[in-house]
This record gives sequence, structure tokens and C-alpha cells, in this order.
Amino acid sequence: MRPIGFSTGALAYADFRRGLGMIRAAACVAVELSALRQAELFPLLESLQSLDLTGFDYISIHAPSQFDSTWEAVASDRLREECWRNWPIVVHPDALSDLSVWREFGTLLCVENMDKRKPIGRTARELDWIFGQLPEASLCFDIGHARQCDPTMTEAYLILREFGSKLRQVHVSEVNTRSKHDPLSYASILACQEVANLIPANVPLILETPVASDQIEAEIAKVRKALPLPRQIMVA
Amino acid sequence: MPEGATKVEQLEQGLLADWSHLRRARFAAEEGKAELRKALDGLDSEDTSIVVSGSLARGEFTAGSDIDWTLLIDGSADPRHHDLFREIGMKVKPFASKEPGAEGTFGSMVFSHDLIHEIGGEDDTNQNTTRRLLLLLESRAVGREDAYQRVVRNILNRYLLEDRGLWKGSGHRVPRFLQNDFARYWRTMAVDFAYKLRKRAGKGWAIRNIKLRMSRKLIYVSGLLACYRRHLDYSQQDRTIIFADPDRHKEVVEHMEAVFRETPLEIVAGVLLRYAHLEEAAKKVFDSYDGFLGILADDQSRGHLESLTEDQADKDEIYQRARQFSHSFRDGLLDFFFDPKSELGSMTKNYGVF
Repeated sequence: MRPIGFSTGALAYADFRRGLGMIRAAACVAVELSALRQAELFPLLESLQSLDLTGFDYISIHAPSQFDSTWEAVASDRLREECWRNWPIVVHPDALSDLSVWREFGTLLCVENMDKRKPIGRTARELDWIFGQLPEASLCFDIGHARQCDPTMTEAYLILREFGSKLRQVHVSEVNTRSKHDPLSYASILACQEVANLIPANVPLILETPVASDQIEAEIAKVRKALPLPRQIMVA
Repeated sequence: MPEGATKVEQLEQGLLADWSHLRRARFAAEEGKAELRKALDGLDSEDTSIVVSGSLARGEFTAGSDIDWTLLIDGSADPRHHDLFREIGMKVKPFASKEPGAEGTFGSMVFSHDLIHEIGGEDDTNQNTTRRLLLLLESRAVGREDAYQRVVRNILNRYLLEDRGLWKGSGHRVPRFLQNDFARYWRTMAVDFAYKLRKRAGKGWAIRNIKLRMSRKLIYVSGLLACYRRHLDYSQQDRTIIFADPDRHKEVVEHMEAVFRETPLEIVAGVLLRYAHLEEAAKKVFDSYDGFLGILADDQSRGHLESLTEDQADKDEIYQRARQFSHSFRDGLLDFFFDPKSELGSMTKNYGVF
């Protein structure tokens, strides 16, 4: 069974404690602690010692999606202090200005492919440039972003083919025309299935679908349908 | 061989030929697209692409060429698309020698839905088939390619991923679903030649006749070769592995997309370059096509063919010269496609005939 969890931000925005409680109640084994806005990062990091994270096999931190230029070095310094935990730090490539400070995170830096509003990091070709600059970084594959950029799922296929060896976690949701995360629709489930075999069974799936507590179980069931375990490839 | 030489140039140099009309037409097309891109800058978007077809897209642009364009929309419907479409029409007009064709296939707004969903069946109108297949065979986005690329990929996904024989078969890996539609389109063009002749009381007969024998035939030929390349571009071992692995099917689609980014002449030259023993056929095909473009590039000859009637054609020097080119083109293609020394002959019998 694939490890599945939620992003705290998807369930409870900046209230990571409440989000964590909802995820724990659903008996998930993976969690992404979200600080999508700059002001949320330090409170989250200061709270790490006091959060009850037992039961989670996989934990990652989602860094802010935008930094003030003067704040980028401060944030990366503070995040680096948490590297001893060995938790991946998910970043949006368009938020990074000074790549040298992020290069030091090595494989813990987890670069996410972007939605179509962003100027970089949307396609395999654009990611190739980023990973050229950050050669050790890993990949957070956002399947909703990839589908929004290319509903044929060719780009999703190309990203997984080119950077599958870097794959650390997968973001799962439907990304609508306003680039907002939505629960999975039937069409998005079918689209995910097209590349499900390229995602190894042990890679955690982090749901970014904004659902209420009573919808979490159903959403997880949809994700299991969308991304079933890879089958054995039969070669004639 | 200069670095970055096109396949047509490589063939030309290999055969010690001089295809100056092809060269000029290719440069003119590049210039034309660059000028259009500049004029239309900012009018397209992520959900809309301005797509050109015809000689401009094929890299065969001459002074008398018209500009066939469409506004391809792959996104939310927006009443402002109509204003956008009119604005594009105004901007394209100074570059065009004449108005878009009378059938309404070009100079119009096209939504992606029918192109992708209506393949075959009653709703796949002549116009829809034409638009869809020209998108694959001879089109280029001028400016932003987002919508264009998505639609092309989706169309190819339909033709290839739904073709059971392509993946499950054991013989040639030729996408029969797509090849059948190319063949249908080629026959439709031939039938429509007779239809237009009747509808327009013979007006434009000669130029249309020569174009059918040359440029229309070329796009069918390039489509056929693009289908053959699903087989030819992989080794026996790769075919066994790739076609049996569902996770690599998108790789095959992507490869097909790359083939269609080449012009029809490039596709033909690329296959001919593989077979040294087909030099004579290559010479016939490209010498004649160069001659045909030479006639089109000459204002007087082109104008003459545009007004020539069927009755006058038998004794007309320009028409007869063009006809000779078309015969040589046909003979070269027959030698090429029915070549017994390569797999081309057997593939043509299996896919091009029955």
C-alpha cells in the first residue's frame, strides 16, 4: 500500500496544529507541514519540538511559495538548522533567487514542478535547467500542476521519465483553471492513472485537496484509485 | 556538410543536385513566419494559438502564396475571442496575397473539442477532418504554442493510444487508425477537386489540378511516412520492448509529435536519406518538386495557371511542364514506396493499399 498523507495547509491553511490533528485522526502515515506564506514559517519551525509527530513514517516541510529578497537568506538559514531531522524541504523554484544558499540542502531540497501561472519549473525542459543548477535536489512531483500544464499527461510522463530517480514525494490534487487545488474529479483520476506505474510504491503521496474532516477518508480512497500500485511490466 | 543543414539540404548535397526553388521557398517561409510573429505579438495566450497551414507551414512559401490561418482555442469559451479573431484577421491581411479559402476552413476560430473528440462518425465533417489532419500534416503555431501543442498531443493520443493493433500486433508497427484517416483525407481531397470544379464552373482548374498532384499528394506521402516511422525508427529489439510496455506508450506518441514538427519535405527527405539505393527515386521526387515550386514562384506562370481552363490545358506549355513534373514526382514516389529491397514495399502493400 502506498504511504498517503495530507498537507496541513490543504486542510487547515496556516493552522498546522489543527491540520495535523485531522491527519492523525485519519490514521495517515505521511504529512507535509505547510508554511506557504512567509509569516507562517518561523512559527511552524519554533513549534516542531512540541508537535506530536509519532506515527508518521514520512514528514516534510513546505517552505513559503514566495520570499522577500532580503528574507530568503534568513529563511534558508533557519531551515538549514532543521536539516538534522532529515525531512525534505519542499520549495517552489520560482521563489528561489539565490540558488547558492539552497544548493547546500543537497538531496533534502525538494523542488516542486509548477502550475501554469509560474514562469519556470512547469515542464521537463524547464526542470532540467533547475536541476542543472541544483544537481543534488530531489523532486516533489505535483501531478495536478503537471496535468494543468498539459492535460494529455505527456508532460507528466516526461517529468517522471527524466527525473524519476529524484522523486521524493508526490502532491496529489486537481488544479483548477484558477490554479487552485480542488478535490479529485473523475477526469483527474483517469489522468493520474496514465502515469501511476511510473511512481514507485514507496513514494509518499501528499494530498493537497481541501476537504473537510468527514471527507478525508473518501478522498484517500479516490487517490488510491487514481494512483494504484505499480503493476509488474509484462514484456512479450 | 554545414552544421545544422536540413535533411533536404543533406539530400541535395548528397545527390549533387541544385534545388534553388526549395531553398528560396524555405527562407521565404521562415521570414514570413517571423514577420507574422512580430505583427501578431501579444494576441495569443496560453489557451489560444494562432496557427498557420499551407505553404507557409510547409516551408514552401512563394510570392503568390496565400496565408491560411486559424485561431485555435483550447480553454474556456470567451465572447472576446471573436474580437481577437477579427484583430488577427486585420493584422494578417497585409501579408496575404488573397483572402482565406471560400470553404471557411481557414480564417476562422476553431475550438479543440471537435478536433479531439469527433474522429469518424457523422459529426466528423469534411471541415473537421481537414482541420484536424492539417494540424498534424502541415501546421505551425506563430507565437505561443501552449494550446497548439496540447491539441496536437491530444489528437495523437487518440489515434495512437486507441489503436489496439499498434500495441498488440506482431507485424509492422504502423498506426492503422491514423494511416486510415490520412488515406481518407487524401481521397477526400481528390474527390473535392471534382466537387470544386463543378461548383466553381471550372475556375482555377489548372492550378488546383497541379497542386493536387504535387503539394496535396506530398502531405499524404509525408503522413504515410510518419506512420511508417513508428516501425522504422525502432530496432527489432526496441520494438519488442517499447510497444509491449504500456508505460512507454507516451514515449511513442511523443516521438510521433516530434516527427510532425518536421515539414512534409523534411519527413520525405529524412526517410530517403536512409536508403542509398533509392538515389534515383529521391532525385525524381525532389527535382520535380523543385520545378513545381519554380512555376509557383513565377508570378506570370502562376497567374497563367490560375486562369487556364481545362480546354486550353492540353496545348499549354506551362501546364504541360507542370504536368511532366507531376509525372516524374509520381514515378519517383512509386519507386520509393514499392521498393522491394527495404520494408517500404511490404508496408505500402499492407497499409497503403489494403
